[in-house]
Amino acid sequence: MTDTNSSIRHQDSTYLNDAYYDQLMHLNKDWQQDGPVPVINQPKLEDKQACEALAFAEARLADDLRLEQWLDCYHDKSIYWIPANYPAGDPRQEITLEFHDKRRLEDRVARIRTGVAYSMLPVIRTRHVLGNIEYWQGEVNEVCARASFIIDALFNDKHRTLSGWVGYSFVKKGGDWKISVKQINLIDADCLQENNTFFL
Amino acid sequence: MKELDNLVQAGRIHRTVYTDERIFSVEQQKVFSETWVYLAHASEIKEPNSFVARKMGLRSVIVTRDKENKIHALLNRCTHRGATVCREKKGDKTPFFTCPYHGWTFRNTGECAAIPHQDAYGENLDKQTFNLKKVPFVSEYRGFVFATLNSEKGKKGIKDHLKSAANRIDEWIDHNGGDHRAIRISGAQQYTVHANWKCLYDNAGDGYHPEFSHQSLLQMTQQRYGAGMDLDYFSGGIDSTPMYSQSLGNGHSFLDQRPCMYENSAFERQRPQPGREAIVEQLTNEVGETKAKAFFEMATGAGMNINIFPNLLFIGNQMQVITPLSVGLSDMTWYSTAVDNVPELVNTLRIRTQEDFTAFGEPDDTANFEACFKGMQEREVDWIDISRHLGRKEDSVGEGGTVTSVISSDIHMRTYYEEWKKLMQSKDNSPLS
Repeated sequence: MTDTNSSIRHQDSTYLNDAYYDQLMHLNKDWQQDGPVPVINQPKLEDKQACEALAFAEARLADDLRLEQWLDCYHDKSIYWIPANYPAGDPRQEITLEFHDKRRLEDRVARIRTGVAYSMLPVIRTRHVLGNIEYWQGEVNEVCARASFIIDALFNDKHRTLSGWVGYSFVKKGGDWKISVKQINLIDADCLQENNTFFL
Repeated sequence: MKELDNLVQAGRIHRTVYTDERIFSVEQQKVFSETWVYLAHASEIKEPNSFVARKMGLRSVIVTRDKENKIHALLNRCTHRGATVCREKKGDKTPFFTCPYHGWTFRNTGECAAIPHQDAYGENLDKQTFNLKKVPFVSEYRGFVFATLNSEKGKKGIKDHLKSAANRIDEWIDHNGGDHRAIRISGAQQYTVHANWKCLYDNAGDGYHPEFSHQSLLQMTQQRYGAGMDLDYFSGGIDSTPMYSQSLGNGHSFLDQRPCMYENSAFERQRPQPGREAIVEQLTNEVGETKAKAFFEMATGAGMNINIFPNLLFIGNQMQVITPLSVGLSDMTWYSTAVDNVPELVNTLRIRTQEDFTAFGEPDDTANFEACFKGMQEREVDWIDISRHLGRKEDSVGEGGTVTSVISSDIHMRTYYEEWKKLMQSKDNSPLS
């Protein structure tokens, strides 16, 4: 990019190829494995603690609408994925509620930051609660996890509750852990949705 | 409903047309029965003995394909005690539906096949009197399945009702590759809108709003991707662009964005989809630049808004179906489409493109529909204005009675309200009523 002054200009996004989609389908299956994670497959305690701290921070930053810091929780080559089916199918063949690479995730944040995103006026307040988190070792420098979630959302003075389970792939980049993939499985993914223009 | 002469006027609509429960109730008979209502796409029930559960207005309907490939719309109400017979959203290999309550069983043609322990009803019971009721007329136009309860319209078939809209659907299908590349449904995004269904329908042909409602999309795109991108041709003097709006007869209408969107490449205007670069590279290598470029345009929206009154809207490569749930609550479902006989990468790009507007455009539209419906509750302010470009002298009448106006005209609302009023004031003409 020649425009080095502006941080909001987009970058090219070249990583989402067929092999990456295959990897997503592999994760999709992995997140749905049976039974408790055997001790032998559990990640090192320090990695597990780091990933848990990241998952909690990501949820809190979304709730607090600190969206630039929230984006920093995601790896440069990440996918944010809300399937429109339950269970999720192959996103190459079926539409999702949202499926973003890092670039389109930045678009989502930039839209809200224009101040004229009417779906977020008044601002939607949310609180994420994560529970039942299970971790296991993925590839080298990868930790996978799944958790149940509840999101309480307040919009136009009314509460509503979203719930489901979330699948994570965390990867280590330099010294830091980042979210590589987050798949949000709403229990009503294939039913009527309300205004979900905050981050799940 | 004589009162509608006062409530629906040339350039304005009374707010109670949107808010009155009584009018909503009459609409269920007159609009969502006595005209052709879109139900499903043939690709959703491709195999014999498959089905999908749908709504026809408030009615629960099972759309089936029988073993002879004939499509039926069965009222999903057991003729015994009233229970919902089919409780699944879709299925295949289903020649029969059995009511879970007392086991009454019906063929996917609606015919009553079995009544358990039938002897207790006497020797002369004619099972046929207990067939599932059917929407009497089902008709398909190029894969789009419609139904009506109206005898007169039913006998003429859907094509007669579509009038000039049929030509526009043909053009839409051509954009998507024509007959040798049939489209299929590739999933759906479903949303509630807290507004009367007509608040959604009003917007379907509104070329006036994008410059204002879609500021978040326009500003974000300008900041991140510069000028000349998606929808930016809706800013400024839009009525001097070659885009136009058109009434097609029978309440149907059309907005043509193609003269601007496809002036050069629509694909180049599209905000970059996830995976765009990888797919462009791979597809260009596989099929060559010329063929690949044609596929990229096919993966981009058609630039046509075709509105089939009362519930089917073609937007981009998607079909939006509007279903009323109550006077102030509506179901807005976006069906995604994929294309047969193309490299699957084309469909992946196409599906990623179809996720764009529902994330960046529709949420702001929905916020405004809901705000309108809220405002319509105010008893002190009576009217909804639809007079933009009313009586414009340059509007031209074309073949089949179409009327063409500028892109920001309210002709879409005026033409559908004309049809709406006609239907609402018509005599019942249904064999089921």
